[in-house]
Amino acid sequence: MKNRLKVLRAERSWSQQDLADRLEVSRQSVNAIETGKYDPSLPLAFRIAETFDMSIEEIFLRK
Amino acid sequence: MNDSPATKARGKSPWFFAGLMFAAYGVVAALATTGAIEGPAIYILIIAPFGLVFPMLNAANRRIDSGGAACFGKGQAQRRYKKRVAISTSLYLIAIGLMTFVNKESDPSIAIRTLLAVLPGLAIIGMFWAMGRLIVEEQDEFMRMLVIRQSLIATGFTLNAASVWGFLESADLILHADAYWWAIVWFFGIGVGAVVNRVQYGTWGAV
Repeated sequence: MKNRLKVLRAERSWSQQDLADRLEVSRQSVNAIETGKYDPSLPLAFRIAETFDMSIEEIFLRK
Repeated sequence: MNDSPATKARGKSPWFFAGLMFAAYGVVAALATTGAIEGPAIYILIIAPFGLVFPMLNAANRRIDSGGAACFGKGQAQRRYKKRVAISTSLYLIAIGLMTFVNKESDPSIAIRTLLAVLPGLAIIGMFWAMGRLIVEEQDEFMRMLVIRQSLIATGFTLNAASVWGFLESADLILHADAYWWAIVWFFGIGVGAVVNRVQYGTWGAV
């Protein structure tokens, strides 16, 4: 699944570690999600959406 | 060469302590081979260098805290796992040393021999338990998935190897392997799983 995490993070000048700290996950998790290697669970997808104050569909896109 | 303040704060590398431990084992092996030490001294000296595992774990944790070592797992669950594995491994080495020493130096009763033979197995069960607890306690879903993948790869690797070996052994084509070797093969499989994780996801999982 594609996502806009990297762009959204860059817009806020957050590092992967900054986002990981906000989501309470490891930096490796953020990297894996961002590069499309790992699709997050629905609860984590909701946490990501809340962190960016957006809906899930605005962040994660169908391939 | 001057260390930067960040390097000083991170302290010595965990590889320094690992190297020291292997060097110590090399010295012990050399002393035992040349006959410089013998009897109980060998068993004590075999166990002693393993104490370096604890500063090694502390050094690894310092690296994690300072933001380095991206290949290492983070979080409290991983820390508890490493501590549990270190304790189980220490108990295993002590149990093996005790069993070998008692069996060699005396002629113990069946009850004592049974007890001594069960102890290393219990220590290995401790390592499996530590892996199980890591899967239960890990709060980071991606890291938990990596550990589960590692365990599945290790289990598949071990069961496949045991099945093939067993039939080859039945056909008298290969040497007999004591059953405890499959636990060792499983731990090797955990290492294989970590490499597969690293290749596919860029991080090791539990190492």
